[in-house]
Amino acid sequence: MRTRLATWAAGAALLLTPVWAHHAFQAEFDRDKPVKLTGKVTEIEWINPHSWIHIDVTNPDGTVTNWMVECGSPNIMLRRSFTKRSLEVGAEITVQGYQAKNGTNRANGSSVTFKDGKKLFVGGSNPDVPEDQK
Amino acid sequence: MRTHRIFASFCFVALACLPAAAQAPAAKTATSAVKSKWTPPKTPWGDPDLQGEWPATARIPMQRATSLGNRAELTDAELAERLSRAQKDAEADSEEFSKGSGDVTINPPSYWQERGKPDRQASLVVDPPDGRIPPLTPEGQAAVKALRGGLGPGSHFPDKVDSWEDFDYYSRCISRGMVSSMLPTLYNFGNEILQAPGYVIIRNEMIHETRVIPLDGRPHVGKAIVSYMGDSRGHWEGQTLVVETSNLESQPGAGGGLFTDAAVLTERFQRISPNELSYDVTVNDPKTWTKPWTIHMPYKLDPSYRIYEYACHEGNYMMLDALTGARDLEKKGQSTKVIP
Amino acid sequence: MRTFATLLLAAVLPAAAQNTAYRAPRAFDGHADLSGIYEALNTANWDLEDHAPQPGTMWQTGAIGAQPAGQSVVEGGVIPYKPEALEKKKANFANRRTNDPEAKCYLPGIPRANYLPYPFQIVQTPRGIMFVYEYASANRLVNMGKPEEAGSDTWMGTNNGHWDGDTLVVDVTGLNGLAWFDRAGDFASKQLHVVERFTRTDPYHLNYEATIEDPSVFTRPWKISMPLYRRVEKNAQVLEFKCVEFVEELLYGQYKKQPAAAPSPK
Repeated sequence: MRTRLATWAAGAALLLTPVWAHHAFQAEFDRDKPVKLTGKVTEIEWINPHSWIHIDVTNPDGTVTNWMVECGSPNIMLRRSFTKRSLEVGAEITVQGYQAKNGTNRANGSSVTFKDGKKLFVGGSNPDVPEDQK
Repeated sequence: MRTHRIFASFCFVALACLPAAAQAPAAKTATSAVKSKWTPPKTPWGDPDLQGEWPATARIPMQRATSLGNRAELTDAELAERLSRAQKDAEADSEEFSKGSGDVTINPPSYWQERGKPDRQASLVVDPPDGRIPPLTPEGQAAVKALRGGLGPGSHFPDKVDSWEDFDYYSRCISRGMVSSMLPTLYNFGNEILQAPGYVIIRNEMIHETRVIPLDGRPHVGKAIVSYMGDSRGHWEGQTLVVETSNLESQPGAGGGLFTDAAVLTERFQRISPNELSYDVTVNDPKTWTKPWTIHMPYKLDPSYRIYEYACHEGNYMMLDALTGARDLEKKGQSTKVIP
Repeated sequence: MRTFATLLLAAVLPAAAQNTAYRAPRAFDGHADLSGIYEALNTANWDLEDHAPQPGTMWQTGAIGAQPAGQSVVEGGVIPYKPEALEKKKANFANRRTNDPEAKCYLPGIPRANYLPYPFQIVQTPRGIMFVYEYASANRLVNMGKPEEAGSDTWMGTNNGHWDGDTLVVDVTGLNGLAWFDRAGDFASKQLHVVERFTRTDPYHLNYEATIEDPSVFTRPWKISMPLYRRVEKNAQVLEFKCVEFVEELLYGQYKKQPAAAPSPK
């Protein structure tokens, strides 16, 4: 694998887009800082290159921290019939990912689910947030 | 496990990842001219109608595995393997419930990308016949090496994060440029063709490009006016739209070399069936590559596809986060090199 | 005798004299053809309201960066802000060097895209009407079929169009509230709703009107109007102005690696 990567890097067809470029998540997030967050959605930025979901997370000591979680491109969601109305402020989600290298309360959303484990924005037949999870 | 999956997806657009084909059928070469008995309908003013949504969904690697030699198409077995991998990806993507704490990486979940469909075409590059981009000229190599004060071009996974210039133009949300804007990427690979009397318009979703191509034979703009998407002029040759693009900004990315003032791209668009658009682009820049080279991309019509606004720079938190994160790492005496 | 007859006709048929009103050429579908390259020739992009000459945001650029005088394009002259919104506009103005989205090469939104000092092109196609702006490669495809609801908020909005005679009417919703109207800090929120009217008044001018509505910012809807001028050069062309590479220093300069001698940025 190392050799293959070296070959690639050595620069023949640099048209390639490795997994998840638009941009390098590895430049932004820190492998050594895994996080698991559960919180209520306070704001959703449906933007490109990736959208951001803001959640209020209650810490063990009772204080609340607002985190920003990086998610997918809204264009993809829109093409799957999810719209800005498909995730509402107040919904509770659980996020697993890694924290930003700059130490801020930002994380990538590698796994984003509702309380029951249902993945965010999967299942086109019922894109709405389940009633009991709002 | 996850690393393997990432690499497997990686392979669809990378080199040399196909299993060595021990028994290859007789060599077949793809040609860029497509013979078709079907004639497209005409627009109200009489031009062949190429209009529609033609997302770049074909999942074809850029260059061909050397083991395939001059064979331009996969065998049934090879295609079946690609299809089965794609099938597994699709199944994983549509799992509604998460499997606990497996599969947590630094990337977003895979179901937030848009998957292309495997195709029998072995590589996007179809000429030279071995499906590999020709070598750069000495001048071409020197030009690439000279970037960033001798460190070479910026990258998705930069060797350091001193400045935005260590990233590539795509990560900086400037442009994917030509020819990349026409080709598959991991998501938002929408392309739309619209036509008007005297014009063809090509929209690329990533990164909100619009080429308005005049067909009236007017000359190109002057050589001093260069741009990332170049200056395009089109004309019809029978049912085929031929577009010539010059005046390209010297941009790293397409084929590993930088365009010079000698660069000319020739695209050919031919609608060969109601749902198929045959696309070829020949890259000719004798100052950079030792030979011209040609990409063939089979587009399929998808009337359900919709291009949405892709405002990239406006939301590029990554750039700010990567730079501030790098400054923090430096304070701790750590390297800012980004490992994929 | 012929002259007398003409004069007589003109006297008895005043209505006929009005038929010298301009009729735009027809597009392929029989509607007015608005296709062409246009550009505004006023200072609306500096400030929609009346403005005197004043310093720009960088004295180092001398007269080049300074603001010229200009007359209001707002019907009634003044934008009807709610009091708290007017305070926000003033704050925007005070911080315009770094906060004006145009300075950051952000997409300009509607209506501002139409009166930036850069040309744009209208192309009428069977799939809708394309607006291609030179600034920041901004563009929008106006849907001329059944109106669609905005799925998410964007910089250039969700654009639904229809014809009112020879006037193109574009109804814009789904704007994200982040664009400004001008360099003076005029703004609106996500509730912004713009209805535009484009009418060719003669071979060389496109009349542009926009009615602006945002109940969270303004006390009532208000309107701007201006002529847009056709670029008549034979080689008129919308060129490329990506501009991102010209703003990276402004946006990120303080975060790049500093030379060894300088203290690290906080």
